[in-house]
Amino acid sequence: MSAFLTALFTGLRLGSIYALVALGYTMVYGIIKLINFAHGDFIMVGGYSLFFVVPIVQRMGMPGWLAVIVAVVICSVIGMATELIAYRPVRKKGTNMTALITAISVSLVLENLAQAIPAMGPNPRVVNSIFGNEGISIAGASLSYVTIITIVVSAVVMVLLFTFTQKSKTGRAMRAVSEDKQAATLMGINVNRTIITTFGIGAGLAGVAALMYLAQYPSVTNTMGSTLGLYAFIAAVLGGIGSLPGAMLGGFVIGIVYSFSSAYISSSLASAFVFLILIIVLLVKPTGILGKNVGEKV
Amino acid sequence: MKKRILALVLALCMVFALAACSNGNNNDNANKGTNNQQNTNTANVINIGAIGCLTGAASTYGVSVANGIKLAVDEINNAGGIDVAGTKYTIALTQKDDQGDPTECLNAFNELTGNGIELIIGSVISSCSSAITSPANTAGVVMITPTSTADAVTTTSDYVFRSCYADSNQGAIAAAYAAQQGYTKVGVVYCAADTYSKGLYDSFSAACAANNVEIVVAESTDTMEANDFSNQFQSVIDSGVDFVFAPYYYGTVGPYLVPSARRAGYTGIIMGADGYDGVLGCISEGTEEYFYDVIFTNHYDSADTSDVVKNFVTAYGAAYNNEVPTAFAALAYDATYMMVQAITKAGAFDAASVKAALDDQTVVYTGVTGTFSLDATGTPNKGAAIIEFTNDGTSVTTQLRDTVSIG
Repeated sequence: MSAFLTALFTGLRLGSIYALVALGYTMVYGIIKLINFAHGDFIMVGGYSLFFVVPIVQRMGMPGWLAVIVAVVICSVIGMATELIAYRPVRKKGTNMTALITAISVSLVLENLAQAIPAMGPNPRVVNSIFGNEGISIAGASLSYVTIITIVVSAVVMVLLFTFTQKSKTGRAMRAVSEDKQAATLMGINVNRTIITTFGIGAGLAGVAALMYLAQYPSVTNTMGSTLGLYAFIAAVLGGIGSLPGAMLGGFVIGIVYSFSSAYISSSLASAFVFLILIIVLLVKPTGILGKNVGEKV
Repeated sequence: MKKRILALVLALCMVFALAACSNGNNNDNANKGTNNQQNTNTANVINIGAIGCLTGAASTYGVSVANGIKLAVDEINNAGGIDVAGTKYTIALTQKDDQGDPTECLNAFNELTGNGIELIIGSVISSCSSAITSPANTAGVVMITPTSTADAVTTTSDYVFRSCYADSNQGAIAAAYAAQQGYTKVGVVYCAADTYSKGLYDSFSAACAANNVEIVVAESTDTMEANDFSNQFQSVIDSGVDFVFAPYYYGTVGPYLVPSARRAGYTGIIMGADGYDGVLGCISEGTEEYFYDVIFTNHYDSADTSDVVKNFVTAYGAAYNNEVPTAFAALAYDATYMMVQAITKAGAFDAASVKAALDDQTVVYTGVTGTFSLDATGTPNKGAAIIEFTNDGTSVTTQLRDTVSIG
């Protein structure tokens, strides 16, 4: 029983992180149909921001998690700068594919940049404990409060994003741009401003994800975004990329599959099972679990 | 179209994931270099060469090694030199830099041997030493590497010896320690996909069988950078063991493994190998309380209170601005004295005689890093210092817990 609960809690812990990161992927994809591979590295940027800011905030006698405000701002600025410098010029000239390749290069640039800056460098940097170590124990399995907080934060973020895109003026503009850029322009929507806002919000989410990730796994490296981003991306695709509830569901499915296969089958093969689940779901339902089946425009 | 892009993207993902997995876990082993000085004097000088990475990424190791050798040579020369068959000889040391690069190492080797040097201490890191083992054998040059721990360094060449233990020995030491402490049931958490971790697991399990210690639970992770060990330690707890061997590197142990294990409720011993050296810099503030009964094997402990270590630490500090000698410096110091002891025993300093003296497996060497003799391959059969992490609630420090000898 305790083994089962531990596997479940570990799955929830991993899943809550993947869900939070996947929300960022799916949000940007939903609006501009770009898989932003640099999203994982925005988390790395958020991670280093927290590494520097958390001790300062704690020294001022405030709770460490307040540093997330700085992290969100820095991530948003980096995200918007990326859109301005890299994606926008490419989008004007090229296709979806060129934008995708640009996203991968942005990811590599960010990783190597972090490695080149001496204060960050290639060695792991360890962040102070943010929410403490307490938790509850159920039948011999421990569930830390951080995990519960992460799940709540993911859910709140999801609901907020959903309401924002459905109800607010900017949100509606985003959906309009997503459906048809030219028509949106004709309706008086500033397409470029809408897209840059999308990146600002998406990258800001990476700052929140960085906080929740580091609260549980307190080490920052310049490549932390690549594996994390990969799993979160799989989660987004599994849940149906573009769908916010799908991203959350996908994140938890991935986390729980990973944890249970490592607890009950083989820990060496845990990631293989994650990919296997993805392949099976995509074969049965190519748009993902909650994805909408939209006719393709060719 | 969209689906095709997706397929391509996924393919790319996998490629990147694989690339990420192949991140080198290079364990830098120090290469020791001998300084061979051309002897223009009379016959009263013995030329010894040293090769090591004095510059480059592993230069910290190389400089420590060079300092250790220099200290030993100065001590010997100040005491009047080596007694070879009734005549006193002083040592002339020539130090060469290999920059941590195997090609440069071979160049340095050729330069030393070209100058007629037959006795070399070096090199520091395993990849460099491996580049010169076969030339050393062919040229008939005695080579003692202080710090190259890769198993293969001494196994193929008769003229190659070392003063450190081999990687496979660390697992054996951990098993011996478990047995010595009375643990009959132990657990292992390791990464089956990694050479270092798997190699240590293999040697640990072989030695456990020899020591009548049973491995009741062996859990693995899919990468060395795994960040969640809750499931692994849950099954350790369920199997009821209080001693877990977990060979990982410090970047995983500090922030992830130990906190994960303690949060899962595991309170027993967590033991690792030299990869734990560096954990102190990787502990998240606020998790210090988890670092108790976390131990690892190392070559020596500078805080050791035995006379031989105390004298070495004092002499080293006096020579090098009060620096505390690392294990690399200690191994280099020992390697130099091994060479000297072999010369004295041989009563000659040509390569063949020194090699014959080192080949004698009954000779006992007493050094800073332990008292040992060499096995058939030229690797010391020696124990290790068991270093322990302890905390006072707000900070974590290391201290010597025990020493273990095997064989």
